[in-house]
Amino acid sequence: MSSGSATREDRQAKAAAMRAQAAKAEARRRMLIVTGAVLAVLLLGIGVFVVVQNARRETVAADAATPGNLGPSNSIVVGDASAPVTLVTYEDFQCPVCNEFEQLNTTQIDAWVKAGTVKVDYRPVSILDRASEDNYSTRSLNAVAALVNSTPSAFPAYHKALFAEQPAENGPGLTDQRLIDLAVTAGAPKAAMTTAVKNLTYKSWTVRATEQASKDGLTGTPRVLVNGTEVKEPTAANLKAAVDAAVAAAK
Amino acid sequence: MRWVGTAARLVIGAVFAFSGFTKVVDIDGTIRAVRAYQLLPEAIIPTIGAGLPVLELALAALLLTGLLTRVAAIITVPLSAAFFLGVASAWARGLSIECGCFGNGGLTANPVPGYVRELVLNTVLMIAAGWLIRRPVSRWSLDAALGLQIEPDLDPDDFHEHDDDDDASTSNSIGVQQ
Repeated sequence: MSSGSATREDRQAKAAAMRAQAAKAEARRRMLIVTGAVLAVLLLGIGVFVVVQNARRETVAADAATPGNLGPSNSIVVGDASAPVTLVTYEDFQCPVCNEFEQLNTTQIDAWVKAGTVKVDYRPVSILDRASEDNYSTRSLNAVAALVNSTPSAFPAYHKALFAEQPAENGPGLTDQRLIDLAVTAGAPKAAMTTAVKNLTYKSWTVRATEQASKDGLTGTPRVLVNGTEVKEPTAANLKAAVDAAVAAAK
Repeated sequence: MRWVGTAARLVIGAVFAFSGFTKVVDIDGTIRAVRAYQLLPEAIIPTIGAGLPVLELALAALLLTGLLTRVAAIITVPLSAAFFLGVASAWARGLSIECGCFGNGGLTANPVPGYVRELVLNTVLMIAAGWLIRRPVSRWSLDAALGLQIEPDLDPDDFHEHDDDDDASTSNSIGVQQ
């Protein structure tokens, strides 16, 4: 009797083990199917997204609208071409540290330019749209491009005005109308500015200029170079030391 | 122990969801951030910059829903290790980049806190993913709901839990439990 019951328990245990094994095999099979399906969808999704993005970037690269009056590497050149020192600045009009750089250095830079010691290659970029509610980084750079295209001599005044009225990060930027009004005050023609600002005529160029700056080693703004050497912390004293050294070296 | 797996999934999933989202809304910025590390050839930088955020979002979706937990955890480890090495090497080379890990490409005056934060974060992600590779069975998961969980053999803890626990999601849904 007892042996019979043991056999039944045995059989039951065996049957349970087999069911468990079958269940495990079934789970494995489903797992393989789902894994294959999900990975296929994932790879396809990534592939499609990459292709779409590449197409978008090619469209931007092919857009011909480029402002006139630019120097090499999308520079807006201010000062005497024969000045012994070239100061390169990469700035974003939405970047607070760039504004700090401007406030610390604008007086001495103006004096150097006036004396013919320094010419400045301004290379503005738009990297901070994410820190703006209305893509101010791109809109301000587009406005600058329009102004330089029509009236390069108005750039220093416009540049100062944009930093003087720089909007706080993560809020709204200056309105299109304000961008136009400031440009007109600086000396640009109203009609041309209005068209270019409203239509974002140079939007693709802002992307291209920013991409070029990135390829040229820009990792953040402001970036300041004196005769090709980066000034890591461009305080007034550090910048003056770098410019003085460059002037001495040029003699 | 199954709750630990759930927590691990939610932590990794939340991090990838956030970092993937901030990257995907600014693909050009993400591409610049990838370039700023100066580790990859220019030819593949745009592809990595565009593909990475999608991969992160997909992993987030898998982990948050608990679908293919183990597969997602297996992909997480090398991804997180790559981020870790990228940040570590940028720090070692004195590159002044805000890491770009959450979609930023800007400069910080002192990048060290950002580097430390990223290294710690990625270490946590790798540990959590390691846990999930060993113990992918967790509560609140599609794996359980769809019968995709292969119950671990040598887990008295879990077996015990099984016996006196009627949560259907933890048992094989094919009806082998009597």
